[in-house]
Amino acid sequence: MRHAAIIGTGQTNHTRRRDDVTQPELIREAAERALADAELKPSDIDAVIISNMEMFEGRAMPELWAAEGAFAAGKPCMKVATGGTSGTSGCIAGFHQISSGLFDVVLVIGFEKHSEGHTQTGMALVDPFWDRSVASGALGNFALSVSQYMAERGVTEEHAARVAVKARRNAANNPHAHLKMPDVTVADVMASPVLAHPIRKLDMCPQSDGAAAIVVASEDKAKKLSPRPAWVNAAITRHEQPYIGDIERRLATMRTLKDASRVVYKQLGITNPLEQFDVAEIYEPVTYAELAWYEILGFCEPGEAGRLIEEGVTAMDGTLPVNPSGGVLCANPVGATGVIRVAEAALQIHGRGEARQVDGAKTALVTGYGVYAWADVIALGAEPGGN
Amino acid sequence: MDKVISESTTERISVSVPMNQSWKYASGTPMERFCAGLKEKRIEALQCEQCERRYLPPRPFCGNCHKKLKKWIDVKDEGTIEAWTVLNLPMLDGRTGKPRATPYGMALIKLDGADTTLNHYLGESDPKKLKIGSRVKAVWRDELIGAMSDISYFEVLP
Repeated sequence: MRHAAIIGTGQTNHTRRRDDVTQPELIREAAERALADAELKPSDIDAVIISNMEMFEGRAMPELWAAEGAFAAGKPCMKVATGGTSGTSGCIAGFHQISSGLFDVVLVIGFEKHSEGHTQTGMALVDPFWDRSVASGALGNFALSVSQYMAERGVTEEHAARVAVKARRNAANNPHAHLKMPDVTVADVMASPVLAHPIRKLDMCPQSDGAAAIVVASEDKAKKLSPRPAWVNAAITRHEQPYIGDIERRLATMRTLKDASRVVYKQLGITNPLEQFDVAEIYEPVTYAELAWYEILGFCEPGEAGRLIEEGVTAMDGTLPVNPSGGVLCANPVGATGVIRVAEAALQIHGRGEARQVDGAKTALVTGYGVYAWADVIALGAEPGGN
Repeated sequence: MDKVISESTTERISVSVPMNQSWKYASGTPMERFCAGLKEKRIEALQCEQCERRYLPPRPFCGNCHKKLKKWIDVKDEGTIEAWTVLNLPMLDGRTGKPRATPYGMALIKLDGADTTLNHYLGESDPKKLKIGSRVKAVWRDELIGAMSDISYFEVLP
């Protein structure tokens, strides 16, 4: 298989509502910025992938409507829709198109315009016989799992609040972030209203309008076109059984994320991810999920996530800065969210993270999370083929 | 402040599209039998004959062993709370499209005889009175129609 690398990234400034643009115009902003970043013309793109959860907007076939905004008319184009993992799965599909030799330059674009539709309705359209009458939505699903995770692993509301503070303060350094709160405190988070016990308003991600794009290139092209490509050194995805009740102690076990990460670590010879990655951009739609992922991803032993956040191990100046961008807690246009994780990790390798740059970052870990189960894990590096 | 990229010369407009549509889904054989059972306050699960996992909802195939599921077993309408929450921000009811009245309690319940959990409503909405491990029992509605909603909620047993 050929090596693939990310040679350009582009994002909109994610926000609650972008009623000044249509979906294709929103996409165009991110796509144009990614092409400019890679110093490429639309005609240099061989194929386009679009990640979007169209049930949220209620507009079918977004890959058709968006074709012009996405530079896709007259080119191979497909859509990827796997819940929250849509963006990372779209990126992985693009990596495979390059690695397989099918194409040399692929543009991956993720977008969501939650303000135009009904995200809750989209989330409620589950199995009509089993759980549609008792659907608890993303918030309820998380709250249920969090109650188990807290009881089992001794995580507290204060630990979660510390995650929220880290994210919102990091986001203040990210011009693209939706929620920037440079002065937010643990007390502020713990005083915010309880939406679904024990999850508070400031524990949750927002719903955002936004788009993000990356340009992926083959080894030859990347070396020619980019002074510092972000090499895709591993990309693994996992699916799961269909019902939330199928997964035993979900946040503590999360076999999709655990299995995908272990395959990545094995491929790269990683035995201590906390020390061996320089930065991580992980998909944490709620504060408690970030803590659970620390344990699942092997940043610490089970039950130690609280200590990690207390000691600042994942802060900007810690051993492994997690989500310098502010993460999903600070911007969540669902179809774009996974692409944002990949783009932010690539920016770190490119050394163009500006105020949110982790000094000298050469390796980055990325995760995607979809519905309550799907997981993607991607490793990027400054050198092709390994960490 | 949003970045405005287009210069609008008139008032910005949008189009509003209300829809009232209906869909019709096949039950499949396992769910057909399950729903018929509900009409008689009977809960049945399918067990994988290879890994022995007892599945609710009953479904055609085991995702782990890839075997077709054929072995029906009885499950009680009583079980244990494995996870719980109380929602203050209502979710949409997927059948009516309307939000539920808040606050309301929800739980992942492991019914006696099943290995998976059931996501359902609780009769209790005071967080102080809910805990993992509590026993619960189904409260059935008067007129049974053979749907999951035949169980109105689960009451927490003392």
